[in-house]
Amino acid sequence: MLLLPESILRLTGPGPRILELCDGSRTIEDVITALQAEFSTADPEMIRREVRTFLVSLMERRALDFE
Amino acid sequence: MKYTPHALIAEVTHRCPLRCVYCSNPLEMRSRSVELGAAEWQRVFGEAAELGVLQLHLTGGEPLARPDTEQLVKAGRAAGLYVNLITSGIGLAEARLEALVSAGLDHIQLSFQDSEQSHADEIAGTRAHAAKLELAGRIRKHRVAFTMNIVVHRRNLAHLPEMIALAEELGVGRLEIANVQYYGWAFPNRSRLLPTREQVRQTIAIVDAARERLKGRMRIDCVLPDYYARYPKACMGGWGQGLILIDPAGVALPCHAARVIPGLQFDSVQSKPLRWIWEESVAFQRFRGDEWMQEPCRSCERKTRDFGGCRCQAFLYTGDAEATDPVCSLSPKRGLIDAVIADAPATDGDDQPAHWVYRINPTNAPAPTP
Repeated sequence: MLLLPESILRLTGPGPRILELCDGSRTIEDVITALQAEFSTADPEMIRREVRTFLVSLMERRALDFE
Repeated sequence: MKYTPHALIAEVTHRCPLRCVYCSNPLEMRSRSVELGAAEWQRVFGEAAELGVLQLHLTGGEPLARPDTEQLVKAGRAAGLYVNLITSGIGLAEARLEALVSAGLDHIQLSFQDSEQSHADEIAGTRAHAAKLELAGRIRKHRVAFTMNIVVHRRNLAHLPEMIALAEELGVGRLEIANVQYYGWAFPNRSRLLPTREQVRQTIAIVDAARERLKGRMRIDCVLPDYYARYPKACMGGWGQGLILIDPAGVALPCHAARVIPGLQFDSVQSKPLRWIWEESVAFQRFRGDEWMQEPCRSCERKTRDFGGCRCQAFLYTGDAEATDPVCSLSPKRGLIDAVIADAPATDGDDQPAHWVYRINPTNAPAPTP
């Protein structure tokens, strides 16, 4: 569950794990690489696409910032 | 059916340095002498978290009118809640801002009345605009989520593009453009505040364009006036379904305006546990489900989406809190709303003197009888 100023996002599937990796020190590329290693049987390109789509959707909701 | 509250709106004081003509506080306000202390709020935040509440909105009045707001933020965080401070920002010096952020504040919502100082100060009934601009620049330097809130109405919608530009300039993450809701002090001022249909149409176009342009940089939430809607809003997400408001004296309410409804006994957290109030009290159960509904709501397929609309609005217009919200196009009383729209001047009213009913500050007001 992700708490925003006036709303609550219920994260499902890999969402919570992706956010866990967003610790303020990893780059997006680091997050993708970590997940590709963790889920080595999945298509690495698919992981890249999904992580990017997920993070951009959170950024658009202003739930996440890139530094 | 079991309901779980997700947010607690804590009106920690009704005192406020502003006198906004659309204040959502009730006309009959609580004086300082009956305000709950920090220790009582702390207990209530814990009870709320145990009930399932996730978010705490500290509001007022002006929550910073209390000397112990930092303690309330700390107590909210200690209970595991996401803490939001809804403020006018007046008098918020840097040391206090730092103390609030260190106490764990997650989010600040700073209100603006207009993009132009003279208009803003007319609505606020005091000189406040310049101080808000100065504060906004300081808030940005802290690690705290920041929303700018602008309440919009007939007299300031002409400045909407400038207000959005101001939010951009101030670099806020989120902008809330909220049309006045006609309760509290806004109700007696409604004919001067209600936008024209054309203004509402333009608002939608301006906001849509700004959302597209600012995607990823600023989130814009926009609340339109329900007087122009076809169907009513799901007020507070349904009576007693997800929100609890606690007033300065500790009385728990399903919404800001609920005290206008006669014959309902609202309980205080000083005499009852919050869980009992939520689960057992007559007031919170009064408009849950659909047993209480009349036609056309009772057989309406929308009843599970909008819950018949707002109970307070139904009461204010029809004298019957069980009636269909009169803004609904299916309500037999829709004519009452159309009459208000027809009575409002056709222009934006900027050229005419407005005779506002200003909110009073209850600092020295005698304690109202419960």
